[in-house]
Amino acid sequence: MLWLYLHFPHLLLDHIHRSNGNSSALVIVEGSGQKVMQACPAARSLGVAVGMRLKTAISLAPDLGIIRADQQYESRVLEDQARWLYRYAAYIVLVPPDGLLAEVGSLQRLYGGLQAVWQTLEDVLHERQLTAWPGLGHTPQAARLIARNGKGECTSDKDTILRVLAAMPLLAAEFDQRTRTRLQRIGLTRLGEVFSLPPAELARRFSPDALKYIQKIQGTRPDPQSPWQPPQHFRQQADFVQDIEHSQGLLFPLQRILCELENELCWRQQDTDCLLLVLQHRQTEPTRLRIRTSGPEHRASTFLNLIGLRFEQEPLQAPVVSLYLTVKRFLDREAPGGQDLLGESQDTNEAWHTLMSRLQARLGDTALVQLTTRADHRPERAWSTTGVRRTHSGNARVTTSQVPPRPLWLLQGPHPLSEPPAAWFSGPERISGGWWDDQRVHRDYYIAQLNSGQLAWVFRDAQGGWFIHGWFG
Amino acid sequence: MSELLETLLQDARVWQGHTHKRTTQVAEPTSYQALDNQLGGLGWPRGALSECLLDTPGIGELQLLIPLIQRFSQAGKTVFWLNPPHIPYAPALARENVSLDQMVLIHTEDKNDFLWTLENCLRSPVTGLVMAWPEELAAREVRRLQLAAEAGSNVCVLFRERRHIRQNSPAALRLELEPDDQQGLKVKVVKRRGSWPGQHCSLAMAHRAGLLQQTPACVLQGPWSGSAR
Repeated sequence: MLWLYLHFPHLLLDHIHRSNGNSSALVIVEGSGQKVMQACPAARSLGVAVGMRLKTAISLAPDLGIIRADQQYESRVLEDQARWLYRYAAYIVLVPPDGLLAEVGSLQRLYGGLQAVWQTLEDVLHERQLTAWPGLGHTPQAARLIARNGKGECTSDKDTILRVLAAMPLLAAEFDQRTRTRLQRIGLTRLGEVFSLPPAELARRFSPDALKYIQKIQGTRPDPQSPWQPPQHFRQQADFVQDIEHSQGLLFPLQRILCELENELCWRQQDTDCLLLVLQHRQTEPTRLRIRTSGPEHRASTFLNLIGLRFEQEPLQAPVVSLYLTVKRFLDREAPGGQDLLGESQDTNEAWHTLMSRLQARLGDTALVQLTTRADHRPERAWSTTGVRRTHSGNARVTTSQVPPRPLWLLQGPHPLSEPPAAWFSGPERISGGWWDDQRVHRDYYIAQLNSGQLAWVFRDAQGGWFIHGWFG
Repeated sequence: MSELLETLLQDARVWQGHTHKRTTQVAEPTSYQALDNQLGGLGWPRGALSECLLDTPGIGELQLLIPLIQRFSQAGKTVFWLNPPHIPYAPALARENVSLDQMVLIHTEDKNDFLWTLENCLRSPVTGLVMAWPEELAAREVRRLQLAAEAGSNVCVLFRERRHIRQNSPAALRLELEPDDQQGLKVKVVKRRGSWPGQHCSLAMAHRAGLLQQTPACVLQGPWSGSAR
C-alpha cells in the first residue's frame, strides 16, 4: 500500500480567500480570540506572526481582517476538501485539523503511473487555489511526517522514503514532550538513529505508546485506518471577513458555490430541483431561501438567475456574515435525445421549465396552477387545481353529447340573483349529492339570460333561494 | 404643393389613406367565418397585441377564443390565463376538447408583477396564447407590452373594459364586444392593421350554452312541491 498525505498549512486562510476574492491582510485567531493561529502573506509582510497576541497584531495592522476559528469550523472546511478529493481517490481518511490521507497505491493503474496521480492532484490543487504539501509514504504515519515537513517526493520506493525519514531531525518527528526529551538526553538527534535501536530496548526504556508510534512510522506494526464516507447531500459554505449588506455582493461567492454544485452534479450525473440557501446574520435569525426550479436542472447560470430574482423580491433583512447552500434532493438525469415520441424537443421542454421557474421564483409557488377535472357531480368539486408540471397525459376526452352544457366561467362562490332574468332557456338540471362527505348540494340548475345580455348558469337551492353560479363566457 | 410636403411624401413618412397596402402580418384565423371576412382574412395577429373591450363577462367572449385555445393546446403550445376575473371551469374546457395540460393559470399581486409576467410569457417560445385581464393600464404600459409581443410570435389578447375605447392604444387589433338579442356576440372592429376600421358583424354564440337558435326555450315549469324541503 502506498499512502499520500496532503498537509494544508493554512487551509482556513485559503478557504476565506476563496469566498472573498480580495487579498487584504487576514488572520485566523483561535477560539478564545487571544492568539494568531494563521496569518496570510499580506499580514505577514506587515509584521504579524503566528503565535502573536491579537492585540499586538491589530496595532501592527489596523485594518486586519479577523476570523475566529473553532474546531467544528475547521473540521467542516477539511471535509469540504475531502469531498473534492473523493472524485480522484476512493480511500480517504480525514486527519484533523489540517490533513487528508489517501491510499494511492491502487490508483496507479487507473491514472497510468504514480507520476500521473501526483500531477493530477497538483493541477487540482492549483485550480482550487489551495496550498498543500503532499507527501508519499509506505505507511500513513510516514506519509504524514514527510508531508508535514515539506519533504514530499514523487516516489514509491520504500528505501528512499526511509532514507528521507531517517534524515529528519528528532524535533520534526512530533514525539510527545517527554519522549523527545529522553531521546535527546540519550544523545540522539535524527529519526534514523531511533530506527536503528532494537525494539526490545525501546520498549524497556520508553512508554508503549512511543514504541507504537515508531513502529507505525516504520511499518512494522499495523495501522488500520477507517475510510471516510462522502455525505449524500451537497453543502457548501462561504464565510465573509466583512459583513455583506447588499444582495449583489452575495452573487460572487454564490457563483463559485454554484459552479461547484454544477461540477458535483455533472460528476454524479444527476440533477436537482430544489436548493436551500441560508443566509446567516450576526444578530437575527438566519434567512432561509428555498429556490425551486420547475424541472431538473444542473447549470450554475440558471440557478444564479433564479437566486438573483429572489434577491430582487426579498431584500436582505440584515447584513450577511456567512451563507451556505445545501442540496438534499438529487434526481437522475435523463438521457438527452433529439425528439421524443410526442414530437417534443429538448429545447422546448427546457424553455418551458425555464419560464415556469422564473415565474415561480418571482410570484411564489402558489401563484401558478393548472386545471384538472374531477369525477364529482357537484359543480364546485368537479374541478381542482394542481401545481404546474409538464405532462402529456391527454385528458380523458369527454364526449360532448354526454355532459350537459357547462359555463366557461365559474364564480368563486354562488352569487345571489338580484333581478329576474330576461329569458329562460333550459332546465332544470337537478344536481344532488354530497351526502357522503357532509357537503350537501341539492340544486336545480337553469340557463338564463340576464337583462345585461349575459348568459348565466343559475340555480335554485333547497331553500328556494336563487343564485348565479357561472357565466357562459 | 410646397417642397417640404413633396419630400415628406416621397420619403413615405406620411401615411396616405387612399393607397391601400396589404399587410404582411402573420395571423391566426379566428375560425368564425363572418369575423374572418370582416378582418380581411387575417384574424388574430401574432407577435402583436389584441384587445377585446367589453362591459361584463358572460357574453361569449371566451367562446370567441375557444377555437384558438383548442388549436394551440392540441399543438402542445401553452395557453396562459393571467388574472382571470372568475375561475375558468375545467369541465367546460374539457367538453370543448381543450387539452387541460396546456392551461396555466397565473395570479399576480400587483401591476408590476402583472406586466413582468406578461412580458416573460410573451417572450417565451413555448407560449401559444396569452389571455390577460389587466386592471388599469397606461398607454405607456400597453406600449411596453406591444414591444414584448413583437419579440415573440404569440397571440396576446387583453380583455379590458369598454370605457377604454377612447384611450389611444398601440394594439394591432381592437374589438368592441357587445351582446346581441339572439344570445350572440356583436363584434365591432375599432382598430385593425392594413385597412380602415369600422366593420361590424354578429356571431352566433348560442351554442355555448347548448342552445339552438331555432328551438324555443325548453324550461320545465313548476310548481315544485317536492324539491323544497
